[in-house]
Amino acid sequence: MNFNSKRQTIFLDPNVEGSFELKPKEKVNVILSPSLYWVQKVSLPVKYVRDVKKLLPSLFEDILPQGNYSYSAYKSDDDFYIFAYEDKIILDTLAKQGLNVVSVAKVYFAQSELGNITQSKRVSKNESLFVKDSLLTMVPSAWVESSQNLDLQDITLSKNSITLQQFGHIVDNKSLYKIAAIMLIISLLLLSEYIITSKKVDEILQAKEGLFSKYKLKSTMFQNEAMFKKYNFIHTKQMNLRQVMAAFLALRLSTGENISIIELKSGRLNVVFSGIVKGKESRIKKTLQAKRIIFKDSFKSGSWHVEVTL
Amino acid sequence: MNRINPLYVGLLLSIVIIFLVFKLSGAKSDLQEAKEAYVKTSKIAINLSGLKSAYADKKKLKASLRRILALSAIRQANISKDEKKSSVKLSCASMDKKTLNMLMGKLLNASYNITSMKIKRLSKERVSFKMEIKW
Repeated sequence: MNFNSKRQTIFLDPNVEGSFELKPKEKVNVILSPSLYWVQKVSLPVKYVRDVKKLLPSLFEDILPQGNYSYSAYKSDDDFYIFAYEDKIILDTLAKQGLNVVSVAKVYFAQSELGNITQSKRVSKNESLFVKDSLLTMVPSAWVESSQNLDLQDITLSKNSITLQQFGHIVDNKSLYKIAAIMLIISLLLLSEYIITSKKVDEILQAKEGLFSKYKLKSTMFQNEAMFKKYNFIHTKQMNLRQVMAAFLALRLSTGENISIIELKSGRLNVVFSGIVKGKESRIKKTLQAKRIIFKDSFKSGSWHVEVTL
Repeated sequence: MNRINPLYVGLLLSIVIIFLVFKLSGAKSDLQEAKEAYVKTSKIAINLSGLKSAYADKKKLKASLRRILALSAIRQANISKDEKKSSVKLSCASMDKKTLNMLMGKLLNASYNITSMKIKRLSKERVSFKMEIKW
């Protein structure tokens, strides 16, 4: 990187064909032709430029044609030079002359940089710069005598540069700030929502850990689920046993009929009835079916065997 | 022209918003999963705790069984008790049906894990009884 290199300065005028050849990443300073801005020299009862800037739109109100203007001002002795310009027109002129906005370092008004010329300066075959009443104007070259060519090689630039608003013609600064503020508020809301949600997740995870210690659970849910399955199976079987037993013990048997054996083995309940004549068991079957008990039955050695799988 | 291009600021803010929406969506999904996991764990914990207390609290089950067998009406039936590490076997060669009714009422109304049982009618008034309870 060469810190001592001096930037090239170019004069930008819509009527002058430019042939700028820039090296990659090279930046240039641009001096705007009077054709690209409106200027007034005014004397105002204010001290600072910042106070003048507030008044600029109204100072140009009746002069400017319809357009989207940006304003600038600087002080010279007791007077103020005030400017109005259209960013889009300047940007379009830059593009027309083959200059990318990225290649532009600083932008100046010709008034601030060339306003003190003593002789008219020719910028093209047909146009020259001419100072009249302290204001730099562009006039036909034929109007002025003995014009010299404009030379920007040794020019020392002032501090009165301006910044072009690339989107000024689409949205003004206020709208941009509003959009940015809304986006920022949305970002903050999302961020706070994210923080709150993450906090909730942490709280729930902690509460879940609390359940493990409160109910003395095993360290993994896999173990706990297996244990729950095991005990739930036992509980279901035991509840079934009690329901089936209650159903059998509630049966109304006829005289001579009785239950001779109740046996629970390998998850099956076997009930042996004695004194029941084959064909007469249908009454008991209906009662059991009404209680939704699924069973198998058979007659063996004069006894009626009923088997219920729990 | 050193001013930052507003497009870059807009792009940056848009990327930040998209990133935050993505992160928030992930966090919401995590929250939903955490809630579901909590509800599931809570349900399993409460049920498991209840079931363990009912069927696996050896100390409590032994004490309640001891109380049942110590009841005077049941004690006189001379029910033998064979206690092992994980189970107990109760048996009685002959007992009257009134004692059986009382014993079965007590056992079936409590939460014992009855794994095997045999009640055999010996006569109109008497039965034999065998039962295994696990814990």
